[in-house]
Amino acid sequence: MVRLITHNLLACHVKGCTSNNFPLEFKDVQVVLRESEFNPDFLRGFIPKLEWPALVGAARELGDTSLPDQLPEMLDDDFLKTLHHVLLEIHVEEGIMICPNCKHNYPVSNGIPNMLLAEHEIG
Amino acid sequence: MAPAVTATVVNEDAPESYEVAHVHDVYDAIASHFSSTRYKPWPIIAAFLANLQDGWVGLDSGTGNGKYLPLPLDRPGRQWTIGLDRSRNLLEIARTAGGASVLREVVWGDVLGHGWRREVFDYAISIATIHHLATPDRRKLAVERLLGAVSPAHGRVLIYVWATRQDEHSKRNIPTNSSGTGQDVFVPWVLAEDSTQVFNRYYHMFDDGELAALVTLAAEELGLVIGPAAAEGSLKGIEIVQDGWERSNHYVELRRWQT
Repeated sequence: MVRLITHNLLACHVKGCTSNNFPLEFKDVQVVLRESEFNPDFLRGFIPKLEWPALVGAARELGDTSLPDQLPEMLDDDFLKTLHHVLLEIHVEEGIMICPNCKHNYPVSNGIPNMLLAEHEIG
Repeated sequence: MAPAVTATVVNEDAPESYEVAHVHDVYDAIASHFSSTRYKPWPIIAAFLANLQDGWVGLDSGTGNGKYLPLPLDRPGRQWTIGLDRSRNLLEIARTAGGASVLREVVWGDVLGHGWRREVFDYAISIATIHHLATPDRRKLAVERLLGAVSPAHGRVLIYVWATRQDEHSKRNIPTNSSGTGQDVFVPWVLAEDSTQVFNRYYHMFDDGELAALVTLAAEELGLVIGPAAAEGSLKGIEIVQDGWERSNHYVELRRWQT
């Protein structure tokens, strides 16, 4: 699955593509929503690692506009539940992720992102 | 009686295609049967995964059927391990590791790639994977990728590889040499549903001390000091927390630090 939790970690690794290589842009996606167990302790620990603007942008690409532009200071349960939904319940099943810099296409098929490169392509 | 493990010689001019033929293609062909034999987490690996912090994210580089992705079982969802593997067929199994009702995050990729933000993970494990790389340089690069995937401040890494020193209960008879740099072998896999189909998997079996030496070389390549965290200065390093042998495998646990 490419959920937005994973998308927020992935970056292009083509040789020479070392800046503006994150976040990958979604194109032609098919999305499925699946409920998952809410875990506020996980979210509180994970938030410092999030690239917030990338998450907000990716969610909007997928049609979810529930996140604010800025990470709120108050991490109350309402906000954490919204974040939980965006990070962990939106599954990109099919589509393409495109590097904003070098435009390399990383396909997503049956929920699995293909990050393979030929070895001569890897930076 | 299982077919014997036999010595092999890697084609060092073309290690990538050698791995395709003798590792990647084999796992895609045997994925279902292989996975049915790999269900029990090893205690040291389970203990490593049970002692991490809430909110941490990790990379399981060479996840196979994903048996470590649901751990720790007593605190589900408190940390998040993402499984990476070269075998698409194993990943399809890893997606539902721990039961079809809970889906895992898996990524199709190679352990020599690095398709993630630098140092973004809190931990990384590589279990029974690096021994499938066919040259010392490629095995070293695989360790560099693990070290470069985790936090410079607190990143934790656990690596397991197969050992030339076999458990006394091991049924395998292993070819030996006295090089001190391990032994390249083929390990046959006989398909359960058709015993005439035998696939030879390539392994590099590690000698005593070889894994720690490999980690040291990889750390040096990245400019990391090896040893306990320095008291002062602006240094980056790794501490070898454990360096051991268990049931025919060598393992090493590492912690990154910076001052």
